[in-house]
Amino acid sequence: MHELGVVMEVVRVVEEFVRENDVEEVDTVVLQVGELSSMIPKYIYDVYPAAVDGTMLEKTKLDIEIIPGNGRCGNCETIFSVLQNHATCPNCQSTQFELLSGREFYIKEIVCY
Amino acid sequence: MKEYRVLEIKQSVFEDNNKQADLLRQKLKDEKIFLLNLMSSPGAGKTTTLTRTIEMLKEKLRIGVMEADIDSDVDAATISETGAKVIQLHTGGMCHLDADMTKQGLEGLGTEGVDLAILENVGNLVCPAEFDTGAVKNAMILSVPEGDDKPLKYPLMFTICDVLLINKIDVMPYFDFDLQACIERVKKLNPDIQVIPVCAKTGEGIEDFADWLYKETIKWQT
Ligand SMILES: Nc1nc2c(ncn2[C@@H]2O[C@H](COP(=O)(O)OP(=O)(O)OP(=O)(O)O)[C@@H](O)[C@H]2O)c(=O)[nH]1
Ligand SMILES: [Mg+2]
Ligand SMILES: [Zn+2]
Ligand SMILES: [Zn+2]
Repeated sequence: MHELGVVMEVVRVVEEFVRENDVEEVDTVVLQVGELSSMIPKYIYDVYPAAVDGTMLEKTKLDIEIIPGNGRCGNCETIFSVLQNHATCPNCQSTQFELLSGREFYIKEIVCY
Repeated sequence: MKEYRVLEIKQSVFEDNNKQADLLRQKLKDEKIFLLNLMSSPGAGKTTTLTRTIEMLKEKLRIGVMEADIDSDVDAATISETGAKVIQLHTGGMCHLDADMTKQGLEGLGTEGVDLAILENVGNLVCPAEFDTGAVKNAMILSVPEGDDKPLKYPLMFTICDVLLINKIDVMPYFDFDLQACIERVKKLNPDIQVIPVCAKTGEGIEDFADWLYKETIKWQT
């Protein structure tokens, strides 16, 4: 499972941000995760307590927003959800598409005092 | 009661890694070191292929190898028999290497005088594709028993690689692996990829890979 290593990297980036911006106390860290990224939200929640243990972010909450995986059909230009339609255009059944979103993994924002 | 504030960070963790990877590539360019990132599923034949390739190139290039493994030293021991410099990187459960870990690995290996450094990445076709290691080129091995449908299941991996070795062609008669169909699927995802069928066990086809690697290394150094 690779979530732990990646979330530790997230903690490193947020800690740096907190220091640079003189934040006193962080309440919540908000991430944005693409549906088609290899980061699984359930596992991110699971490893979060271990990743923040002993850091400035210990005791903070985690919030994850999901970015849908959308593709644009290469044949008829219909925009569709790649997961729901099993990577096939619901309009013309073509399997050629350009991925518009869904692989992201962002640290969106922090809620703090 | 204190007010809550929301501070926007909006930073992509992958992009952060991409930046580190670009910095590492620049450093490698300055030091004239070519780094190859070799990926595959577990057991596809990375270590066997590397052993063969090193035998063919060791008179022409100074080679260093980084073996990423959860916690065994078996692969590093195998590679060291070729006389190449080798370091075992214990990834402790991590299923991929990022640019920072690769940089640390190179430091541990000691790249003084090395022309060609090779990273045997963790056996996994998913996330190593998402994390740029800072390598100059990416190569992957698909072995015949895994099936010719892998490009359909792991498209990103096939998209980011410069070379694909199709290994274990000696066992082709026992599997319903359609080489032509597989190559077509791969080329559809990545028209520029070079596909080289090999048998690491006997060494068949490895020469073509060694030639490619030699030429790319010289190109990078000049
Ligand atoms: N038949 C056949 N077997 C091969 C060939 N290449 C490798 N093997 C065998 O496949 C097994 C795995 O090979 P390795 O080179 O250790 O594969 P690897 O990708 O380094 O494996 P991990 O590091 O464990 O992921 C070994 O038993 C090899 O002898 C080949 O071309 N043909
Ligand atoms: Mg190996
Ligand atoms: Zn991973
Ligand atoms: Zn369509």
